[in-house]
Amino acid sequence: MLSLRAVARHNGFAIRSHRLKAIGTRHIQTATVTDGDIARLAAKPLHPLTLADLCKFGRQPLSTEDLLNNANFTLSILPSRLAHRIQSLRSLPYIVVANPNVNKIHNNYVHSLSTLLPYAERHIETLEEEIKFTEAMADLVQTHSNTIAILAKGFLEARKYISAKEVTAFLDEHLRARIGTRLIAEQHIALHFSSQPHHELQDGEQHEDSSYIGVIDTELKPASLVRTCENTVGEICELRYGVRPTIKIVGSPEATIAHIPMHIEYVLTELLKNSFRATIEAGMEKEPIEVTIAPAPATQAQTAALKAAKRDDERDQVLQKHAVGVISNYDQGSVDAASGGNYKPDVASSPNIRPLENSTPGVTIRIQDRGGGISPENHAKLWEYGFTTFNEDEINDKTSSGGITALDVISGGAGGGSSLAGLGYGLPLGRAYAEYFGGGIAVQSLWGWGTDVYLSLRGVGRVD
Amino acid sequence: MQTLPYSALTNEHIGHVYELYYAAFERFRKVPEIHTLVDNDKFCSVLNHTLKEHLSVIPKLAMGVLEIQDQIGPDQCDRLMTTLLRSRISRRVIAEQHLALNETFNSPWHFPNAPKPKRDGTASATTAAEDDFIGEIFLKCNAKDLVEKCAATATSLVTKAYGSDVAVPKIILQGHLDTTFPYIPSHIEYIIGELLRNSIQAVVEQKGTTEPPPIEVLICEAQQHVIIRISDQGGGIDRDILPHLWSFAKGPRRHKRLRNLATVPRLKATMQELEVSKSQTQSHASSMPSSANEISKNYASSLSSLSSRPPELRLGMGLPMSKIYAEYWAGSLELHSLEGYGCDAFLQISRLGNKNEVLSTRASMDAV
Repeated sequence: MLSLRAVARHNGFAIRSHRLKAIGTRHIQTATVTDGDIARLAAKPLHPLTLADLCKFGRQPLSTEDLLNNANFTLSILPSRLAHRIQSLRSLPYIVVANPNVNKIHNNYVHSLSTLLPYAERHIETLEEEIKFTEAMADLVQTHSNTIAILAKGFLEARKYISAKEVTAFLDEHLRARIGTRLIAEQHIALHFSSQPHHELQDGEQHEDSSYIGVIDTELKPASLVRTCENTVGEICELRYGVRPTIKIVGSPEATIAHIPMHIEYVLTELLKNSFRATIEAGMEKEPIEVTIAPAPATQAQTAALKAAKRDDERDQVLQKHAVGVISNYDQGSVDAASGGNYKPDVASSPNIRPLENSTPGVTIRIQDRGGGISPENHAKLWEYGFTTFNEDEINDKTSSGGITALDVISGGAGGGSSLAGLGYGLPLGRAYAEYFGGGIAVQSLWGWGTDVYLSLRGVGRVD
Repeated sequence: MQTLPYSALTNEHIGHVYELYYAAFERFRKVPEIHTLVDNDKFCSVLNHTLKEHLSVIPKLAMGVLEIQDQIGPDQCDRLMTTLLRSRISRRVIAEQHLALNETFNSPWHFPNAPKPKRDGTASATTAAEDDFIGEIFLKCNAKDLVEKCAATATSLVTKAYGSDVAVPKIILQGHLDTTFPYIPSHIEYIIGELLRNSIQAVVEQKGTTEPPPIEVLICEAQQHVIIRISDQGGGIDRDILPHLWSFAKGPRRHKRLRNLATVPRLKATMQELEVSKSQTQSHASSMPSSANEISKNYASSLSSLSSRPPELRLGMGLPMSKIYAEYWAGSLELHSLEGYGCDAFLQISRLGNKNEVLSTRASMDAV
């Protein structure tokens, strides 16, 4: 039985912001951001975030105390992340940041930081403050919702002044960090809306036991996500090409992991878009695309050690010892190439942030299509931002006067996700999402036959 | 090797290898320029002798590397092994190619200007088998035949080791089955053999005697290369092992490997072992064209002893060795593991035959 809230979560942010506006458009307090503030906040090193951190204040519905704790935790980590972003933007060449699009993004970040500064030294102690804080979070998410398209446009316009390599490096770091900031903000908002005090205020519906903790679904079934994405992308295909390929799921379709549905849905959609397009353009739409779902067991050494450890505290020690996968700062964009010597070793000094245990079950999803593969020339540019082999004019009319630029595609297809391809961001961004929590994407092309894509995801681990 | 840290060479295995190379160098530099066929024959016997002597190099090096891992970091060990093996391949290829050409030249049915003889007396004139061979290189390696042959070998080895009631997974071929490309048969058979063997072993060990899922081999042909994909459902590769997959200096399983390496045949390089491997080479070569049979009988390839070891002898070298062989002719070998499910291996072979051999760059060769 799907509650309205779960659907709301799945569909994104729209409903929440609507509700917030319904409360009343209270003016969000801001404070002026000085260079000193930015420097001070950016001087703090960033620690990698794990999914467990986001869940640690307990399952929902959260009590008041937990909610306030979460708010304070969010408050402690967000401002410095924003400051890092601002500094990173500021170290781009002047002429690039002078571009109106890039400039807009810069100002967005400064604005967001200004909404958080009033809370700078204070703790959130009351529910009222918490509500205001949540509004600030909502404002943050809203402001930055279109960053990618705008940034892409900006960089394209400024391409004479900055090399593709620099753009890739900057975007790699920036977009990964962006995933983090949005996640923290959205998590808090989601937890807020499913908390007890909120219920009491809203006099709301009875809240049933949900597998969700904020934006994290602890019982996420990748197979059902694959089917959902198959439908979405399939419809676009039918509109554009008149045919749609099918998907065959093998392996363990009933596998579940704990992860963020929105992220995985984005990655799967992008990968399926690529597969479907290739399949149709190669004329192989009768052949099903094979998706294999493989849940990962614990490693041998760990299982052996766990069996040997009888008591609980011994088990904990075993799990700690096998915590191989400390998520690196690079994965989460927390190393500022721009800020220079801010880099500290990947060891969390705060007790709040634990390394990802090696015991976290994960899942690998393999997508095999027969779309002819990726040509060797394109293969080199696969992970560049803004590289695409999609040429709309080729398909629609043959009288186009020499290729269109990605700019046209962006402005043309800016209407939303109804275009099948063209931004050139799907793969690199998909990889950023996958790698954010220690997973990854690997692409293996069989030129002349098809492509295999391996998407590996790590989950949350034990949520106590 | 002289630039390696002293402690490396005090290891007996590496020391032995160094001595071998030094002796070979001394021998070769004394060979005068070749002017006559007689000189050539003498040179060939020197080559032959040296090749036989050096057959034990690979296992010795591997053992040595495993032992000195503590003094010299694993990265440096890997680089050392890779460089040494690559240059070794190139030397042996040149040597064996010359010997093979020599054989063909001297063989009784080789008449450079005679019309091609008919095979089996059938009416249709097919090209003589030896036209498909230029020395060691088989111009028409058929991917399908290769895979089937390696599959048969691997299956029989596994059956012998685990007992005949163990269910061995079937190997299903799909894709462009008629693909042919020029390559050195022993190299490519080694690579595919190792990969298939790993797959079969993984599946057998995971599933036991119940109906095992088949191993799918896909052959994909493009203008410039041939890709062979081997997918199995053998449970994938353990996370602990994954970082050390391609390394000669293994992580957690070092000591077992060391013990196993010590028992590999050919290590002692006695005459008996040479006999054993000769007969094995013969049986392996039975399905190859007859002229090739003659050629390969005369010098046992060092790879055959490694390929014919029993499966419980885990040497930990199959993958890194295969990678070196694959990359030697500008190809590549990659592995993707679906943990808990299975593994996909992708072997890419350049088929133009015009790519230069890939040795190390000058810089890293000097470093070694």
